[in-house]
Amino acid sequence: MNRSGAKIVMEALSRHGIDTFFGYPGGVVLPLYDEILNWPEIRHILVRHEQCAAHMAEGYARATGKVGVCLATSGPGATNLVTGIATAMMDSIPMVCLTGNVNSWAIGTDAFQETDIQGITIPITKHNYLVKNVADLPYILEEAFYLANTGRKGPVLVDIPKDVFIAKTENPFPDTIVRRGYTPSAPLNPTSFERAAKLLAESKQPIVIAGAGVIWSNTSSALQELAEKCDLPVISTLLGLGNIPREDPRSLGMMGMHGEVTGTLAVQDADLVIGIGMRWDDRLTGKVAGFAPAAKIIHFDIDTSEFSKIVETEVVIPGDLAESLPEFVKSVAPKTNPEWWKKIRVIQESNPIVVPDSPKFLARHVLDELNRSTGSDAFISTDVGQHQMWTAQQYKFKRPYQWLSSGGLGTMGFGFPAAMGAAFANPGSEVWAVVGDGGFQMTLQELQTAVENQLDVKICLINNGFLGMVRQWQELFYENRYSHVSMGSPDFGKLADAYGATFFRCSSRADLAETFEQARKAKGPVLCEFIVEMEENVFPMVPAGAANDDVISDPDLPKKQEVHA
Amino acid sequence: MSTTLHTITALVHNESGTLNRLASLFRRRMFSLASLNAGDCEQEGFSRVTMVVEGDNNVLRQCVRQLDKLVDVVEVEDLPQSASVQRELAFFEISATPESRRQVLDIADAMRCEVVHLEPESITLQVSAEPTRIDHINTLLSPFGVKQLVRSGLVAIRVKN
Repeated sequence: MNRSGAKIVMEALSRHGIDTFFGYPGGVVLPLYDEILNWPEIRHILVRHEQCAAHMAEGYARATGKVGVCLATSGPGATNLVTGIATAMMDSIPMVCLTGNVNSWAIGTDAFQETDIQGITIPITKHNYLVKNVADLPYILEEAFYLANTGRKGPVLVDIPKDVFIAKTENPFPDTIVRRGYTPSAPLNPTSFERAAKLLAESKQPIVIAGAGVIWSNTSSALQELAEKCDLPVISTLLGLGNIPREDPRSLGMMGMHGEVTGTLAVQDADLVIGIGMRWDDRLTGKVAGFAPAAKIIHFDIDTSEFSKIVETEVVIPGDLAESLPEFVKSVAPKTNPEWWKKIRVIQESNPIVVPDSPKFLARHVLDELNRSTGSDAFISTDVGQHQMWTAQQYKFKRPYQWLSSGGLGTMGFGFPAAMGAAFANPGSEVWAVVGDGGFQMTLQELQTAVENQLDVKICLINNGFLGMVRQWQELFYENRYSHVSMGSPDFGKLADAYGATFFRCSSRADLAETFEQARKAKGPVLCEFIVEMEENVFPMVPAGAANDDVISDPDLPKKQEVHA
Repeated sequence: MSTTLHTITALVHNESGTLNRLASLFRRRMFSLASLNAGDCEQEGFSRVTMVVEGDNNVLRQCVRQLDKLVDVVEVEDLPQSASVQRELAFFEISATPESRRQVLDIADAMRCEVVHLEPESITLQVSAEPTRIDHINTLLSPFGVKQLVRSGLVAIRVKN
């Protein structure tokens, strides 16, 4: 049937089960915004800044496993998406970003609101397109969804000139996409399974580091089966939290720069490290030359370019974890590692994550209460910084897709809009954005979007009056010379009031439980401001560039003990 | 590990942004690109690209894998000298007065360069050769004055498996 480019875009969303997308109108996307009115079953959320359209689409994706979609007009609309796109790229989030551009005949003339968004986003997209002819649009959109959501997932941008939205074509959507040279995942290699199984059988001190690949491939149960069958300790990467329940006895939580000492030091003693769906990020490995010095390494990943990029690997297992991990579980012989676990428990007992029983009101008290009052069951998003690390340490994540955090790019201002995306995707669920006073001030204009939609999203604002993580580094590594880290804030109560959001302020530990109880009962957007101790530090800490052996334990630890196993 | 020049060839989709993506990859991952040459090939809608990359084996491995990961790239190969023929085209414009012209032409003849243009004060030569040979010709001709040197960058073809 002959239909316009604008209609084809909406058909594509419909074909891919997109019930909600996030955008902001402008001149060149007028034909598409007109068409949107004909599709009441697909909800368009009008944001207040395009960056947040991208973060909401990411939040939607991170909380569901589905592709998130955002839309912006040409020029500044498109460039405002850039931070969100880069965030999604670093964390391999499936996202389709639609941008309008000036009429195709005006491209290259420096027309009003023209920008080369294809050129700008080449390094931060998995792939991108400039659609020159409406006849190509059905195929390109289908391929964009296919690329975003297969292999190692990622953002794909489709830039559509205004005249392409208006022009018509009869070209149908393709039934299948075959992209020559694009193999979503490599076939399994039986030899590597045998070698890996042998290494595991021979190891005395094996450990697993499992990443977000386990989440996106829906292989959490296979991971747990492997851990159980071979009695393996499992560390989750920052983005992998939830890939094994934190309360599972074999979970050691997060490791690395601000991870738990247990995992960080256990890896240093391990004779076999099995990386599953992860990429040896520098925040995890510390100084690479000093990482896991005694260990052989097995690496499962869908992206073969990650093999031996950072650490030298004994056995690589390419392919989709959905295929490789269950196969590996079958091929390994059951084993137990009681001596190894004894060593690990010694480290663990002397290095718990500390929530000090201090008269001061600490951010850690707030996050402890967040975990307790929500039964570890809410969707949780964060910005980046101290509050992010404390949340990662203290929240006992139960399941995949529960945790939304900007890991790779470390984007301030991500937490609130990402939580909104999760809330739009999961009506009736409890969703909390944990944010700092710095990050929240970058995207708080979305309070209007939340109020307008009466969205059930709650904000746990940790207000310490500082850019806390930067201040911590200035304290520890720049001799207390605080340079531009003191953060003034508006009266958040008045601000919430102006937007029409429910507000609670809590300044003492005694009021914590009550504040959470009331906030949890309230409907619609809720802003809870916690005015906490200004100069609290995140520990444990591996200083940047140091080896993981040099982890600094929490000075608040009840008793000092020899920590190395 | 020793740093050497490697010849990488790739078959790529010929689409908007493809060359940009290849170049962007080298820049952003700080791979050292000595030359890049792209052109039509035997398959419609595809191009073949020859790249010369400087680096040790780790750099080369990452470079090949990152290229392979690009959606535009169909296949990519680190092409060994022993299994391939590799050539570069060069034009030299050499200062040559009537007195020195004979000497320049002798060198051109000996080095199998072709004269493609003649002016009263200069000779333009063309040669297709391996890059080291072009370097050598440049050395031989430079005493006369190299007014322009234009090199195409390497192209390579696999001739043995």
